[in-house]
Amino acid sequence: MDLDKLRKTAAEVVSRDDVKYLIGWRRGTFGYRVAPHFIEDAAGVDELIFSPLCIANLANYLTLTEKLPVPRGQEADTRKVALLVKGCDSRAVAQLIVEKGIKREDVVVIGMPCPGMIDWKLLAERYPETDVAAEIGWKGEDFLLIRGEEEITIPRAEVLAEKCRLCRHPNPVLSDITIGEAVEPWAVAEDSGVAEIEAKEAAERWDYWEEQFSKCIRCYSCRNACPLCYCEDCILDRLDPIWVNRAVNFSENTAFHLARAFHLAGRCVECGECERVCPVGIPLGKLNRKLARTVREEYGFEPGLDPEAEPFQASFKPDDPEEFIL
Amino acid sequence: MSEQFKPNIVAFLCNWCTYAGADLAGTSRIQYPANVKIIRVMCSGRVNPLYVVNALQQGADGVLISGCHPGDCHYMEGNYYARRRLKLLKELLEFTGVDPRRFNMSWVSASEGHKWKEVVEKAVEDAIAAGPFDQFRRRQIGW
Repeated sequence: MDLDKLRKTAAEVVSRDDVKYLIGWRRGTFGYRVAPHFIEDAAGVDELIFSPLCIANLANYLTLTEKLPVPRGQEADTRKVALLVKGCDSRAVAQLIVEKGIKREDVVVIGMPCPGMIDWKLLAERYPETDVAAEIGWKGEDFLLIRGEEEITIPRAEVLAEKCRLCRHPNPVLSDITIGEAVEPWAVAEDSGVAEIEAKEAAERWDYWEEQFSKCIRCYSCRNACPLCYCEDCILDRLDPIWVNRAVNFSENTAFHLARAFHLAGRCVECGECERVCPVGIPLGKLNRKLARTVREEYGFEPGLDPEAEPFQASFKPDDPEEFIL
Repeated sequence: MSEQFKPNIVAFLCNWCTYAGADLAGTSRIQYPANVKIIRVMCSGRVNPLYVVNALQQGADGVLISGCHPGDCHYMEGNYYARRRLKLLKELLEFTGVDPRRFNMSWVSASEGHKWKEVVEKAVEDAIAAGPFDQFRRRQIGW
């Protein structure tokens, strides 16, 4: 990854008159942490990084931005927002455009082919965080950890995030500026990592999910971190009608998780943010990937690849599968 | 349990086809199981999948959704959307380990009183086979 080229491009983009700010990543305050970085002028680009720890999907900030009413006599700020994206993030942007959550002309997409990201929890388990500043990069297939004087090569399989293991689109599907060479997509298990659960008996599947859903504390982090959960009027917040009760008990937790997974059916771009931010470690990605796989295999549709596509649940074909109908 | 289990089935029927079909079954004096509680909606496309989840939470042992045959929708295409959505819901319920027999969907037109009888019989049979639902039923707290 050519960091100088990235910083130079970023400086050029933020200097443009029609760009409000650029959203990228910078080093976090300690350990392996990486934080989002909002750059408003060229001076900020020195902190910009792109490393295997930049796993967070920044597309979420496009819709999180507060839209205040414009005071009388003033004009709305129509400048664009520039955004650094990996393959999965670019799909989120494309899906947002499909759903008219954002307009294509309001965003400058800087795409970066992504050779795979590290799950920092796995990394910290094997190489505990120390006070010594650590640098992480790619080295061929594997990862290279530089910590003080030491240089450690970490095999790819050891710390690669699950969503990256199952990634089908490592290269950005849409971008205005691309930095770096396109990477060769790697072989991905066709089952999206859900065959293991599907193979179980119904009662065992239920035991598994019962245990998972019982853990939920209903913090709604999964909703807040999801780039595609951006409804201003979310069913989880509504009081009339109460779609999902607020009580934190097993019945309501299950209803919430079914509702959340269902609302992302045919929309989820498998960026793995929900699972990454979950404080109790519920494998939400499995629910999403199961539905994504059904949509892909039975309807031949993959969300977030074509900004011109029709939204999956708001369209139909007369010959959709209906073998389940009596 | 010596008494036979009598399942509660919530049926969401489209106003234009299946509700009229069920009405026809009634006026034709066709005998069918009394386990279905019918809720009339204007179109099968109006059925939010959360209705199904909510019905199960509130004590239903099975849910039946029925609308017009494809191409016959009063609103031209409502049942096509319902078909996509509810297929995904069925897959999701099955994946989490809820018995897929608890959820049935059918097309019954206004003239198919006999088909309605068969559909209800099938849904009741399925719900009996799946047994009483208590997987994520809402527990009533005694005040």
